[in-house]
Amino acid sequence: MPTAGLKTIIALSFVLAVGFLLVILSCALWHAYYPLLVVATYVLAPVPNWICSHCANPDDFVESSGAAVLDLGRFCTGFLVVMGIALPVLLAHSNIISIPAMVMSVIGGLLIYGTIISFAMFFQEEQEF
Amino acid sequence: MSEDRLWKFRRPEWLNSIWARNAGVYTAGGLFSLAFYVLLDSAVWSKSALNGSTVHVTFVDWLPFIFSSLGMLIINSVEKSRLSADSFSYSGSGVAWKARVVLFLGFAALAGGMAGGVTVFVLRFVVPGVPFPAMTMGVENVVANALVGISSVVLWVSQNMEDEYSYNLAL
Repeated sequence: MPTAGLKTIIALSFVLAVGFLLVILSCALWHAYYPLLVVATYVLAPVPNWICSHCANPDDFVESSGAAVLDLGRFCTGFLVVMGIALPVLLAHSNIISIPAMVMSVIGGLLIYGTIISFAMFFQEEQEF
Repeated sequence: MSEDRLWKFRRPEWLNSIWARNAGVYTAGGLFSLAFYVLLDSAVWSKSALNGSTVHVTFVDWLPFIFSSLGMLIINSVEKSRLSADSFSYSGSGVAWKARVVLFLGFAALAGGMAGGVTVFVLRFVVPGVPFPAMTMGVENVVANALVGISSVVLWVSQNMEDEYSYNLAL
């Protein structure tokens, strides 16, 4: 959608900034910097999918090896996405970070990941047409 | 054009099937991640200040999870279409038999891991009568191994959906 491109980018970068704000605030307010791992997790989450989609030959749907590589990428992405939620919950359960920090970092992480996914979707659409 | 033809002659919801398959693979990864972090949670909690008891998570608690994960890796590495392959098909002689043996080893490792989780729970937590906040570590061990089992079932089912999908594209 080229018409809504600029507004979309502005909205997405605003959401990304709010997500980073929430995560960094959840670290800085309680002086426990473990929730920053959530940012790294969500930035790394689309990477296996991306690498495996480049490894697999897109014409090679009949042979199941290409689909297996794609499945491996999807599996790792699912692993990392759930890790981004499970890691703050784990830290909060062991009293390493507090419960409000957990909530803030989970929400911030989901905002960051949603932004990355939306960017990937918009970029793909622009590339295709 | 080819999409229209597929819509007409094949299953009408083949798109749904791809969606369900991808969602199944993502769900399997998520469930495996949940299993890993449930077990890691017990290990972290064991070393944290909240654990007042003398019971701690050691390597023995991780062993059932390692076996479950190994079993899951073996099960989902086997090519499913070779299972029903006869000796005269293109897959060569004895491949179906080998696939069944490897698959049996995988299921044995998975079931052994789940049984090991229950064993660790009973021997280390139930029999000594550990009180409840520390007992959670044993419960989490059982839950983690069950989640690995559920994850591998989900991955297995969604990989079996793949066959119909690739068959549709092949025609």
